[in-house]
Amino acid sequence: MTKTKIGTLEAIMLVLTVIIARTISSLPREAMARTKSATIINLIFVGIIAVLLSFLIVKLLRNFAGSDIIDISEYLGGKVFKTIIGVIFMSHFLVTSSILLRSFCESLKIVYYPMTNIIFIIALFILAVCATNRLDFNASLKTNLLIIPLVLVSLVFLFFANMNKFVPQRVFPIFGDGLFNTFVLGLSNLGCFGGLVFLYFLPPYLKQPEKMKKIAFISISLTAIYLILCVAILLFMFSFFMKTDEIAPLYNAARFIDFGSFFQRLESVFLLIWILAFACYLSIVSKFAMSIFKKLTNIETKKPLIDLFGIFILGISLIPKNYAIADIFETKIYPYLVLAIPICLGLSILILASLAKKKSKNSNLSPNQS
Amino acid sequence: MNKLSRNLFIFILIIVFIIAFASSYLSLNIDNLAYILAIGIDKAEDNLLQVTFQFSTTTPASESGTMEKTPTITNSVEASSISTAINLMNGYMGKQLNMSHCKVIIFSEKLASEGISKEIYTLINDTQVRPSTNIIISKCTAKNYIQQTTPELENLTSKYYEILTNSSKYTGFMPDATIGDFFNCFLCRSYEPTAILGGLTTENNDMSDSIDSQGKDDVKANNSPIEGQNGSENIGVAVFKEDKLVGELSSLETISLLIIRNKIDRFLVSVPDPTGSSDYIDIYLTPKGSPKIDVDTSTPTPFIKLKTSFTGRIYSMSNNAKYLNPGVLDLISNSCNQYLETELSDYLYKTAKDFKSDINGFGKYALTNFFTTEQLDNYDWNANYKNSFFDVTVDTSVKSGMLITETSPT
Repeated sequence: MTKTKIGTLEAIMLVLTVIIARTISSLPREAMARTKSATIINLIFVGIIAVLLSFLIVKLLRNFAGSDIIDISEYLGGKVFKTIIGVIFMSHFLVTSSILLRSFCESLKIVYYPMTNIIFIIALFILAVCATNRLDFNASLKTNLLIIPLVLVSLVFLFFANMNKFVPQRVFPIFGDGLFNTFVLGLSNLGCFGGLVFLYFLPPYLKQPEKMKKIAFISISLTAIYLILCVAILLFMFSFFMKTDEIAPLYNAARFIDFGSFFQRLESVFLLIWILAFACYLSIVSKFAMSIFKKLTNIETKKPLIDLFGIFILGISLIPKNYAIADIFETKIYPYLVLAIPICLGLSILILASLAKKKSKNSNLSPNQS
Repeated sequence: MNKLSRNLFIFILIIVFIIAFASSYLSLNIDNLAYILAIGIDKAEDNLLQVTFQFSTTTPASESGTMEKTPTITNSVEASSISTAINLMNGYMGKQLNMSHCKVIIFSEKLASEGISKEIYTLINDTQVRPSTNIIISKCTAKNYIQQTTPELENLTSKYYEILTNSSKYTGFMPDATIGDFFNCFLCRSYEPTAILGGLTTENNDMSDSIDSQGKDDVKANNSPIEGQNGSENIGVAVFKEDKLVGELSSLETISLLIIRNKIDRFLVSVPDPTGSSDYIDIYLTPKGSPKIDVDTSTPTPFIKLKTSFTGRIYSMSNNAKYLNPGVLDLISNSCNQYLETELSDYLYKTAKDFKSDINGFGKYALTNFFTTEQLDNYDWNANYKNSFFDVTVDTSVKSGMLITETSPT
């Protein structure tokens, strides 16, 4: 059992962190590219499925109180299987966050630091992550608890400030590219709910594990609402995100905000809030990656890993030769990674482990009964 | 020792990051930048562009404390693209050109009629260009337009450009057309782009062209009866089909456009006086909410119903006016209805039959008639708009005059 304990609200914000970091970059645009004008209806549909999936995950996790997916995989397949699953989840955390960091820093470079080498912009985030990871996990969680509501409020502000530029009719044709595309092929938008992955790792950390269902329901519902709000802003404001690719679409929406000639150029404030949210995301993801590593190697302290993991993230984020490669990973690979690892692999392990537990329970009971 | 090496490491890191970020800071330092107020783009010979830049100057405040007009610098360059022109001008000025305070982009009519998609893409791709930058299509050359722009009431040219479109809300003589909206409409299936129509006050001051047989003051930029120190004027709309200029709207047609787009707060019209006390009555009309638009796409020829309502106050006054008589107000209201229905109908058929361009955005109302993108593509709204038929209904309720409500015959 871990010393750090996470409160219910902190856990909800933690799940939301992933989606917020992704929406800053390109997530709403990706969703819109797949389902066009039907994206809102698709996200409502996919959101309901994501909530049901989260309930299933919570129900299956209840069979293994206080255990995370790594412990459960050890129960299911022994130490080798535990190591394989641990490495998969750890790589998922590190690779997805690193590539996202690269995309975000490329956007920052284009907007604010045209003459600075990308390595220094990325390194600045790595330094922040290394510094926060030296503190207790609770420090990151508490900061996250402050920043994420700020991001949520800023998004609501972005929505209302741009409302006069909305063309709500852009939600039509209501079924976009057709029913099959919206409800069957559109299931790939489940990849937007990458926050589901944290549900597998939360049980050992929770102060009140009995509230897991509540955490899952609220966090995934908020994720869906947040995504719908992001997509609504882009869909109602711009006609071109389905045809034209543009970096940081929400930043583009923020550029349109002005209240007379006094309040203008508010996008800088949004970018500042998003930078903070992104640093929180990186810090939390690297902490979870280190926890997995610690569990796999049985080392006593995470401290020596902090800089190592920081360098690891920096290295991976520098692998893409250019923004295009990072974008391909984000738009073409990441959604399917979420479907493959947190949803398919995670659920399969939980289902198989639950069946194995039931079987062993039955076999233990049988002799007594006879 | 451990602490010392840690502090040394932190110190080195700080120095490295300062050096790394200094280049970005220096490139955006105010001392190294030349701020552009307006960009004019003309077509030059050999497929080149003539790009004119208007810069603000950083002159110190006068010792006497009197408000003096801040002079501007206008330079132009011929190049194959906007980016090359900026680069050449960077070298000439010895400072880096910065467009983050650019308020207007002016295209010449000649260039706009050949298509400006390349230039629009380039400008929208630039992080410095604000989406709120206005777009003007100049009847004269863009260079001439910039040179002739000398604001009379503002000391700062940048301030003049900023408030340029403010009057559109209460005159309806020009739209607030921005590059952000232009780009959005350009890529949209249910809108066509528009821009502000600009020109010179000195080009054609002959009033006879701007008054039609009915006595309506229907004017356009470059063809208005305005005389003043400011050599440029902006009246009307430049109509685009995709990225090409296909026509112009006069002041009255611009009011019609803004009524349909619900972008006007109030406007003045001169309607025939049904009481006979004068030829025309000037009425200030205020739209009652957004117009009701219904687009029927059940047949290959779209049928568009437009219903709009206004409240009005009589602005002009003549002898023997009885504006306290409900019957008279009803008569004036009916006259307004007939006048506006004719104006709106003529305007709409002009956009459909002459321009073949849905600048009103009726396409967005048509979207609700389709379930899938395939159905919408098959209908091909943009190509079909030219076949549209319109039914316009106007409901005006003239409330009263202004301060004087009744006069006796003299």
